[in-house]
Amino acid sequence: MVKGKKMVLPKDPRYLKYPIDQPFDPRWTAWNCSRCSCCKFIDSWRVKSWKYARICPQHTRYRFDAFSAQGKCDLALAVIDGKMKWGDDPTIKDILFRCTMCGGCDAMDKKIRDGEVLKLQKWMRAEYVKAMGVLPEHRPLVDSVKNYDNVWLQPRARRNSWAKGMEIKDLTKEKAEVLLFAGCTYGLSEELKETITNVATILKNCKVNFGILGTKEVCCGSPVEKIGVESEFERVAKNNIETFNKIGVKTVVTPCAGCFGTIGLEYDKVTIQKKFEVLHITELFERLMSGGKLKFKKEVPLKVTWHDPCHQGRLSRPYLPGKDIEGVYEPPRNILKAIPGIELYEMERIKEYAWCCGGGGGVFTAFKDFAQWTALERLEEAKDTGAQAIATSCPWCESNLGNAIKGMEEKIALYSLTDLMAKAL
Amino acid sequence: MDKDRHTIILKALQSAVGEENIEDSPAVMMAYHRDWLPPGILNPILPEFVVLPNGTEQTQKVIRICNRYKVPFIPLGSSQWSITTAPNRPGTLMIDSKRMNRILDIDEKNMYAVIEPYVTMAQIHAEANKRGLYLGSPEASSQASAMAGHVFQGMWGVGHRLGVGHRNILAMEWVLPHGEVLRTGSWAANYKTPFFGEGPGIDLRGMLRGLAGALGGMGMVTKMAIKLHPYPGPKEFPCEGIVPNHTSTLPPDRFQWYIIKYPTLEKAAHAMYEISRAEIGGVLQKWPTVYYNWWWANSNQEYWETWKEGIWQKHCKHAVAVCLWGFTSATQLAYEKRVLEDIIEETGGKPIPQEVFDKWVPRTANNWIRDTNGSRMMRPSGTFLALRLPFDTFNSSIWECKEGGRWVDKFTPPILDCDGPDWIASFDMGHFGSAETDFPVEKDPADLGDLMQRLMGMMKEDLSHQIEGGVGPFLGGVYHSMAGKVFYNYGELLKGIKKAMDPNIVSNPPQNYPIEQEE
Repeated sequence: MVKGKKMVLPKDPRYLKYPIDQPFDPRWTAWNCSRCSCCKFIDSWRVKSWKYARICPQHTRYRFDAFSAQGKCDLALAVIDGKMKWGDDPTIKDILFRCTMCGGCDAMDKKIRDGEVLKLQKWMRAEYVKAMGVLPEHRPLVDSVKNYDNVWLQPRARRNSWAKGMEIKDLTKEKAEVLLFAGCTYGLSEELKETITNVATILKNCKVNFGILGTKEVCCGSPVEKIGVESEFERVAKNNIETFNKIGVKTVVTPCAGCFGTIGLEYDKVTIQKKFEVLHITELFERLMSGGKLKFKKEVPLKVTWHDPCHQGRLSRPYLPGKDIEGVYEPPRNILKAIPGIELYEMERIKEYAWCCGGGGGVFTAFKDFAQWTALERLEEAKDTGAQAIATSCPWCESNLGNAIKGMEEKIALYSLTDLMAKAL
Repeated sequence: MDKDRHTIILKALQSAVGEENIEDSPAVMMAYHRDWLPPGILNPILPEFVVLPNGTEQTQKVIRICNRYKVPFIPLGSSQWSITTAPNRPGTLMIDSKRMNRILDIDEKNMYAVIEPYVTMAQIHAEANKRGLYLGSPEASSQASAMAGHVFQGMWGVGHRLGVGHRNILAMEWVLPHGEVLRTGSWAANYKTPFFGEGPGIDLRGMLRGLAGALGGMGMVTKMAIKLHPYPGPKEFPCEGIVPNHTSTLPPDRFQWYIIKYPTLEKAAHAMYEISRAEIGGVLQKWPTVYYNWWWANSNQEYWETWKEGIWQKHCKHAVAVCLWGFTSATQLAYEKRVLEDIIEETGGKPIPQEVFDKWVPRTANNWIRDTNGSRMMRPSGTFLALRLPFDTFNSSIWECKEGGRWVDKFTPPILDCDGPDWIASFDMGHFGSAETDFPVEKDPADLGDLMQRLMGMMKEDLSHQIEGGVGPFLGGVYHSMAGKVFYNYGELLKGIKKAMDPNIVSNPPQNYPIEQEE
């Protein structure tokens, strides 16, 4: 402070305290990008090798800076200030949508400044869709959610086919404390339905009072939210919150990281108050372990590495400037450590600085080449740990990593965490 | 640029680097229109092309095309904290180095690495640490290009021990502005042994260096051999916690931080002399109090609330920070501790209160070993600016800090509260010191534009007289032309080199001397 003078502080109060409680200002977020490029690399304290120093799949794959959070800040500013329109340049579509929306940039950026660059990118996608329409590549997905309440063009009647014969409560008719929300992919995929049946079996064995919505389960809205179709997201989000409130459950639990992040965090954008807690299944399993209700008896001799799904990790908690980028990092690790015979090998990029599987943000649906490229880097990283298997707890990660493994010469095994748990019971 | 000319150049570039490695779409150009300095923010100019060459040969082809068509070009490293990389001429071509991202060699025995431009400091740290080796940590952040860090200031946190960055350059493969490839150091005679930086003839590193580097005005280095140094730390940098709340603790028998408070700047500088004469320590710095907060705060709210409380201003004003390193052994560290504690007593220093030390050190101090976290300087107000940068002695730095403080006072506001921006850093075991005047400014176009004008006036005033004992204010790029007789007309020498090496004035004009194409 200059002697005898009053302390000179920024005039804009947003520099004094991040305006978390005010409407999001995309221009201010974009304007305050200083081109430090921290959005492109993992936090430098965490860099363990030349090979795995990058955080952003899009920027690593497409190289030009436009394909980074920094470049998107520049593009947003240009559009907001009237220098460009969304339709001026066909490259804008690729810049905005060849991105897994994994939030790695956002997490790294938060180390060095207060800001929400992922929120900015969501805003950009939504504005683009308003001006240019839904991407043709995403149209079937959006139509599917509109017409069938799921993302896989499946009839509603198939929604509970995985639960056939399991005698699980239907919470549209009965009461329970816990709603098991299967999600579109675990619930409808023939390849992945073993996971959801294993989840239900474990919950039953642990005598958890739970049920499902059966054919009335509706997509959580994560895919449409990520690809910028706000109206459809609001529709399903409102529907789900109202349903969950109405059936009176205390807890909504899901094995799908995408559903978990969306119901737990993104539903806060909808004005209806949630009257339930939202847990990822690994959190509930960890609680059951702590309470002595869940014990593993059989040995599973396997060297395993854990892949943190973005929506279970850095994208699962509200932003609090200066506070940890929290996520469900430890429960799955604690579960793995509790299974006899399993040795946990960590990858270089984990938790809030994990490399994405490549399956998010509408990329799995629209840009399979990029999705696979991203997955292959993750699998390479997994193999470099010396692990025999990679485990995760998100159907999008499992699908995308699984597809990539098919094309690998030296494969690595892929497991859903729940499937490993089932082997140990 | 007219369409026909654009098309002709585009085709030439496509044949040089391949269609997929060149972009000219407006949305992509938008991402290259600025660096962090005000000119790029206030008067943005979009580039015409961005190219991604994969090595020396393709870079040479690109630069030759630039010369043929008189297209200005700007080389880029990792674009972290880059300066003078915003286009300031219409029709500029950006040479983005992302395809030159390899560590080509780490020679453990001879302690050097061979790198390409898009390799970051953090990447080399990680690989070198595994081998018991190390290189400096740049002022900006270790996501910066290691090569750019070496040719720019190279003001490393550990410069006290390892020397300023450019002294660690051993050999370069360098595409000159007119497109010829120059190999320096031992590479000039024997490509396999990048050992002797000065080379068989004269030391050509000087063309690229000086105080602040050539700032892209002397072509593009595509390969560099750099010194690595012994490192007594763990193979993996220790880090606990989740972003942004990290802490780092290095083995206490090999690394020991001290923050010692002195009543005056002069006494602090005296202590720095004594520490240097004893040849101890890995880090020796006197940071302004604003640095303590910049580096430490995890949010804007934390920054300003802590600043208003005045914790750093009260306890760290005129404090000297030392990190002792037991390079060879724990015994060395124990010896250096005894020496340092004697010096503290003799010079009348006092350790800052333990609670302040504990608040700052685990979260922040090791930044100066791995990553100065410098990007946080933008946090509390959107940006910051730096005034002056003399390199000379600790004594000249005292004068410089006071002068810098005077200018900061004069321009406050729009400069924000910063408690005297007096940074003194030691290099080469105290053989020279630098001072820098950094201060926070609100990222407001009106404030920035006005302040830039006033700073330019200050610069001219500074250049009208020789600064006592120092080499003067920040002399880089365009400012070389402002250095007249008071500074021995050295600018004329640079002008001659620029004309000879860059006859078409295409290498990031107006760097490294402001002459224009029509001249």
